[in-house]
Amino acid sequence: MSQSDPSSTPSADSKIRGGQFRKKGFTVFGLDLQDFIRFFFSGNASLAIVILVLICVFLAREALLFFPDHHQGLKAYRKSGQEFVDFVGDEVNDFTILYSNANVAYYAELNQTSLEQDNLLAAYRAVQSLVKNETSRVRDRLEDHLDDLEDVVDDLEEAEEDLAKLDPAVDGEKIAELKKEISELNAEKQQLEPVIAELRPELRKASETILNNSLTWKFDDASLKLSEEQREKFREAVLRDEPDAQGDHPYVAELKKISAGKKAAAAEQLVDFKATVTALRDAAKPLKSLHSKLKRVASEAKRESEKFDTAPGRRAALLEGAAKTSDPEEKARKIKMAEAVMIKEPDFATLTQPLYAAIPEHKAIAEKMRTEVAALVKQLPEKASTQGARERLKHARKAERTFDSTVSASLKKMDKWNHDKRYSVIGSVTAFIFGKDWVTNSSWHDFYGLLPLFTGSLMISIIALVVAVPFAVSAAIYVNQLAPVHEQNLVKPAIEFIEAIPSVVLGFFGIFVLGTMLRNVSQVEWLSWVPGFPMSERLTILNAGLLLAFMAVPTIFTLAEDALNNVPGAFSENSLALGASKLQTVLQVVFPTAMSGIIAAALLGFGRIIGETMVVLLVAGNKIKIPDFSEGLGVIAQPAHTMTGIIAQELGEVDNGSLHWRALFMVGMVLFFISLAVNYGAQKILIRFQKV
Amino acid sequence: MSSSKVLMPTEENISPPAPESSAVTSSHESSQEETEKVIKVNDLNFAYDGKKDVLRDISLEIQGGEVTAFIGPSGCGKSTLLRCFNRMNDLIPTASITKGSIEILGTDIYDQYVDEIELRKHVGMVFQKYNPFPKSIYENVAYGLRIQGIKDKATLDQSVEESLIGAGLWEEVKDRLDASGLGLSGGQQQRLCIARTIAVQPKIILMDEPCSALDPISTATVEDLITQLKSKFTIVIVTHNMQQATRVSDKTAFFYLGELIEYDSTTRLFGSPAVKQTEDYISGRFG
Repeated sequence: MSQSDPSSTPSADSKIRGGQFRKKGFTVFGLDLQDFIRFFFSGNASLAIVILVLICVFLAREALLFFPDHHQGLKAYRKSGQEFVDFVGDEVNDFTILYSNANVAYYAELNQTSLEQDNLLAAYRAVQSLVKNETSRVRDRLEDHLDDLEDVVDDLEEAEEDLAKLDPAVDGEKIAELKKEISELNAEKQQLEPVIAELRPELRKASETILNNSLTWKFDDASLKLSEEQREKFREAVLRDEPDAQGDHPYVAELKKISAGKKAAAAEQLVDFKATVTALRDAAKPLKSLHSKLKRVASEAKRESEKFDTAPGRRAALLEGAAKTSDPEEKARKIKMAEAVMIKEPDFATLTQPLYAAIPEHKAIAEKMRTEVAALVKQLPEKASTQGARERLKHARKAERTFDSTVSASLKKMDKWNHDKRYSVIGSVTAFIFGKDWVTNSSWHDFYGLLPLFTGSLMISIIALVVAVPFAVSAAIYVNQLAPVHEQNLVKPAIEFIEAIPSVVLGFFGIFVLGTMLRNVSQVEWLSWVPGFPMSERLTILNAGLLLAFMAVPTIFTLAEDALNNVPGAFSENSLALGASKLQTVLQVVFPTAMSGIIAAALLGFGRIIGETMVVLLVAGNKIKIPDFSEGLGVIAQPAHTMTGIIAQELGEVDNGSLHWRALFMVGMVLFFISLAVNYGAQKILIRFQKV
Repeated sequence: MSSSKVLMPTEENISPPAPESSAVTSSHESSQEETEKVIKVNDLNFAYDGKKDVLRDISLEIQGGEVTAFIGPSGCGKSTLLRCFNRMNDLIPTASITKGSIEILGTDIYDQYVDEIELRKHVGMVFQKYNPFPKSIYENVAYGLRIQGIKDKATLDQSVEESLIGAGLWEEVKDRLDASGLGLSGGQQQRLCIARTIAVQPKIILMDEPCSALDPISTATVEDLITQLKSKFTIVIVTHNMQQATRVSDKTAFFYLGELIEYDSTTRLFGSPAVKQTEDYISGRFG
């Protein structure tokens, strides 16, 4: 280039910058095309960083504004005395758990006696409604015609009555009219009757066709096997069930009668049980009425507090409006209104006075109720004939202990309580991080506690990891170390393909296939030793965990396989030359060497799982409650809500800038930090691994 | 002499019973006469892809208790032949011998009843690139014993010490046996690999260019070590360095384009080669 370019003439003309070495082609200020291409790429790279920073700043600003607002809300919660009332509320809630368990146990026992008939009736209704649905077209037509016929017959009777009343000598004209009408109605009736006569066998035939289909006789409850005779009876009953049929088929009627009779007999047997349950309910009445009384007091105080909080805003709005209007009269009116807005702090001491006054009353009621309830719970039957009732009674006894300790705690808290005590800033932060309730849009008080969401996310992720890591790592070891080439070429793309499945599709699968399957499997009797089995829910922590495990497998697999691939081949060659078998080599040399890479893979898999939204939103059951760990591992059969799920579910419905909105941003912030920490940790481990 | 001492404790490890006894008896006789044929290659052809032979009509016998050097230009098949001796070529799925046989200690090692893992316990190998496992020095040496199921701490301790002494590394590392094997210098790492190999007490050690990645001083140390090991092990060494071959070996085989051109005692092969190609190669006219 330096030599012979005719255009770049000898350097005599030194005005051309760059002289004979001048850049060729398109240049602007000495920058050529290559420089611009470079700028383009570097611009794209830095744009990504700028956007990332913007997102972080926006997130952080919205999220951190949550805390002052939240603190404000909690201050009002205390000042208005709602906090105090919730001490009573806790007692009431714990009692309700106790009572409902006892009540359900009673009905389980009661229904137990007539279980056989009830199941048969349920089966009959299942078949009946199925047949009704399937034959609806013929049935509806028949029904319409029958209605028409009924109308015609009524009209006819009416007309004939009228006719009989009339005097032929006087109302000759009318008689003629009526006679004409009657003949018309008769003609209509004659038209309808053959159609109905035709439709009846048609309906019967359609019903029979469906009844002959064996699928019709499948019921949810597999334990119920209909005998031939019962089936025949049901068949008759269903066929008899025409739109104008009167009463039940004798067999069905008998079943109903037996069921009712058995229930009545059982009720007599269980009369003590029933009395105890009723007594329990009555024992709580004073506490409940005290609770609702106090609730009214606190709600009133809360309204006052809200008025006070919004007063400056309302006043400012009015003044602003006044400044904008040109009409002096209107202006004066608005200014007057603005001045009328009271910016005076309500006297909370007076407002909450009734609460302080209620302390001794509450004490008396609670102490009395406590002894009564303890005595009544002892009266509950020790033994029960059904598994369900036994479980419920056990829960009821446990709830009694919880109730008792809640009462003691509440009594102590009430004595110490003061509406004017400062709410510490740290307290409001811990109320978010360790808060046990997430209650929004409530007429009482909104709670923003992270704990139920966090535990939900964590449990689902742990289950997913526990399932996915062994699965993915073993698959990676097999594919990378042991599989022949053609198998590698099959297995690797297959596992990596999982990543391509949209998560919403997996969610569908989780609801309709996996959920149902898990529940059915959990109902199998000899599997009842598995913790959490039998499951009553379809959408559970376990279900979501399994699906997320499936989603995490490709991530963990690919990274773990990379880690194994990075182990120098010389290691395994050396090991083999020392007389180690292939398996020994893999387990004792290759796997330990790749260990840190595999840990990093698991961590990144965790990051993938905890950030996943769609599947958990669809499959986890979305129940905002800390799972009940008292069942041990069985806790996995409960539904839960997650941090990602709550954002997706609620963010669309909240007002911009409201406390709820900010709370959701704060949850997002927590997620962001978890992901950041996980990724950072994984990178650290990977870097350490590369140094070895 | 001492080769029988090495053979004795492991004789039960040889799997097929009949050839074993013959191998042992012959070793007893030969140890006295020092003419035992430890490796016998009979008219061997070998192909990586099952079709094109990269070794052709190789026949040679390797004496016990000696160092045999394989020399020749790159791609002549000397390393391939070496890796046939402990069946490392089995790791390549399509590779196989296409003609002939190899007998080691009197056993045809390509017989279908031969377990190559068992074979490799008797025929150790040291590679060109030293490659200690990312474990401690102690665990590196003990590895071969651990995979054989030896757990007794005292046995392991003793074997590790003996092997490290055997590899001339004991004095340098005895105070830091728990340190990572990767923290040693190149020459030390290669000697650690040798210690790891002799810990399993093989009868034959194959060395595939063991010094080509080492600096001159480390090379000298390893060469010294090889001459010392000769008293206990039969050594076959592949080398590009002809001076090294003259320094360490008793016999030398010259390979060219997959064929064995000349095989003789080292002094004779380098002093008065019988074949013209050998002479050209050792005098540096090609290669």
